[in-house]
Amino acid sequence: MDFEFLIDNKLRKISLEKKDNIFIVSDGDRTFKADIHFISPNSVSILIEGHSFQVYFARDKEKQYLSLGGQQFIVQEPLESEEGYEEGEVKPKEDKLVITAPMPGKVIKINVTEKEEVRRNQTLAIVEAMKMENELKSSIDGFVKKIFVSTGELVDSEKPLIELGLKK
Amino acid sequence: MIKKILVANRGEIAVRVIKACQELGIQTVAVYSEADRRSLHVQMADEALCIGPAPAIESYLDIDRIIHACHQTGAEAIHPGYGFLAENAEFARRCEKENIIFIGPNSKALKLVGDKVRSRQTMEKADIPIIPGMKRIAKDFSEYKKESQKIGFPVMVKASAGGGGKGMRIVYDSKELKSSLEAGMREAKSAFGDESVYLEKYIEEPRHVEFQVLADNFGNTVHLFERECSIQRRHQKIVEETPSQALSPELRAKMGKTAKKVIQVSGYNNAGTVEFLLDKNKNFYFLEVNARIQVEHPVTELTTGVDLVHQQIMIASGEKLPFKQEQIEQKGHSIECRIYAEDPFNNFLPSSGKVLFLKEPKGPGVRHDCGIFSGCDVPIYYDPILAKLIVWAESREIACDRMINALNDYVILGINTTIDLLKDVINHPQFRKGRTTTDFINKYFSEWKGREKTEESLRLALIASAFNSLNQTEVRTGGVVPQKETYSPWQTLGKWRIGGKE
Repeated sequence: MDFEFLIDNKLRKISLEKKDNIFIVSDGDRTFKADIHFISPNSVSILIEGHSFQVYFARDKEKQYLSLGGQQFIVQEPLESEEGYEEGEVKPKEDKLVITAPMPGKVIKINVTEKEEVRRNQTLAIVEAMKMENELKSSIDGFVKKIFVSTGELVDSEKPLIELGLKK
Repeated sequence: MIKKILVANRGEIAVRVIKACQELGIQTVAVYSEADRRSLHVQMADEALCIGPAPAIESYLDIDRIIHACHQTGAEAIHPGYGFLAENAEFARRCEKENIIFIGPNSKALKLVGDKVRSRQTMEKADIPIIPGMKRIAKDFSEYKKESQKIGFPVMVKASAGGGGKGMRIVYDSKELKSSLEAGMREAKSAFGDESVYLEKYIEEPRHVEFQVLADNFGNTVHLFERECSIQRRHQKIVEETPSQALSPELRAKMGKTAKKVIQVSGYNNAGTVEFLLDKNKNFYFLEVNARIQVEHPVTELTTGVDLVHQQIMIASGEKLPFKQEQIEQKGHSIECRIYAEDPFNNFLPSSGKVLFLKEPKGPGVRHDCGIFSGCDVPIYYDPILAKLIVWAESREIACDRMINALNDYVILGINTTIDLLKDVINHPQFRKGRTTTDFINKYFSEWKGREKTEESLRLALIASAFNSLNQTEVRTGGVVPQKETYSPWQTLGKWRIGGKE
């Protein structure tokens, strides 16, 4: 069976076929046997040519978190919007003109007002979570087009806070 | 002996204290905010009371509600842990007034050492070396400005009320002074409810070396040697160890003696830590007294064999110290790594959310003080510390190897943690050589990106994901109930009965 995953935001393909309790894995031009067993609901043991690997995983909605060899991976099924991306291509970054909350937290200060001119590296707002303040800075010389939040508001990750406009 | 203790804290330290109480046969009361109903400390305590909404200021920092909970449950004593109200003299005084034992120093000593400015004056008078800096809180910005020029840049903004790096800022020139003061005040206010800050000379490339002290109510004082906590990020300790590689036996003895003197001139009782900065030329300066059990206390416990939380409770119960200075010895080497909910690959942004899976490291010489579990929530409201991984071994070298092994064995899925960074810190050649200074992280890790993922590990992750998907498909098409997403062993067991013989 062929599988397509986004692993750490890169698109990869792999094929797994079950044959006499052993799996035949095809990854690109490599084909090899793997002996795979569930150890617990959150872990599998993989034996490949006598080498032993332990993989831990947990699922949260569409995301699958994995840990192996002390490193973490995030694996997702490709979303519809990802169609058309070539294998190995990285998802494009979001438009930097909209400043979003970097993590869930609380807006503790908004340093600018709408229509105000801003300069590169100027602090626009401060979001606090877990007692640490995070300053959100402008990456451009421009002006404040719109402010979507107010001081004291709780915001979720990726929530748009401020929209900037390029200098006319 | 005290019979019932209210633990006025959350997370791993509340768990640590509850365990100590259980060992001593003491009943425990947990208090919790609305965000913490499912927390580990609530599950573990004998009794649990909700004391208010999620923001700490309305729950864990609310003195009235905690005192009320204490009376309501009949607890005789309060253990404040670290952070929150642990070093709040008003809280300690209130406990004294209400006939509740505060497991910590008396309120007078707490007020003195908690006031960093006043304690500096006291230490100066007692001939204890201190760092040049302000001796009182400035009235306005112009006074801060004048003081900063007198001390000479770089200067450090420090919160009068607290520790743990909250409210601290290094200021390299006068242009940054105002914004740094403001940020420091805001952070101090939010962390300790007190916005007082002061300035002090910033000593570059120092080591942070602190001494653990115990003082009973009868004037007996012992120190339990040092902890070196030079590995810090944003002034927050991330790795601690003992013994320090920088101390000779003579210097250790001298600093230990000074630490005891600090405690004595402050009229301090119970467990406390005397922090020093050690400069390149092995001069040491008194920094402050941490009037609480510290995050890093386990490394002292593992090398001296003394349970510090037990001792705190015994001292508060009115017991005499069971040992004398000469009976306390350091054995082997211990290292602690703090596990923070922060994303080391993305500017250390706090990482809240659900812990989907936790696998704790285990093995000889490995201790894990932990406040989380598989399925728990990490709220945005509190300190990002999740757990502490502590190892002990005969030598520093083996302790480092053991720590790496344990970190590799440690799995937390669902939120980001600092585990990857910690591995590279312990493995760093300069760390291995014991060349640890407080600028270590800035110097060697400012460009840190983590290890590249190998083609092999990516392939294994894909195989595991494919295997998972395949299994789910089989379950769905195999005529069994279309199951939830996760694999369940019950689906594959067939017919079974609890205790059944057939």
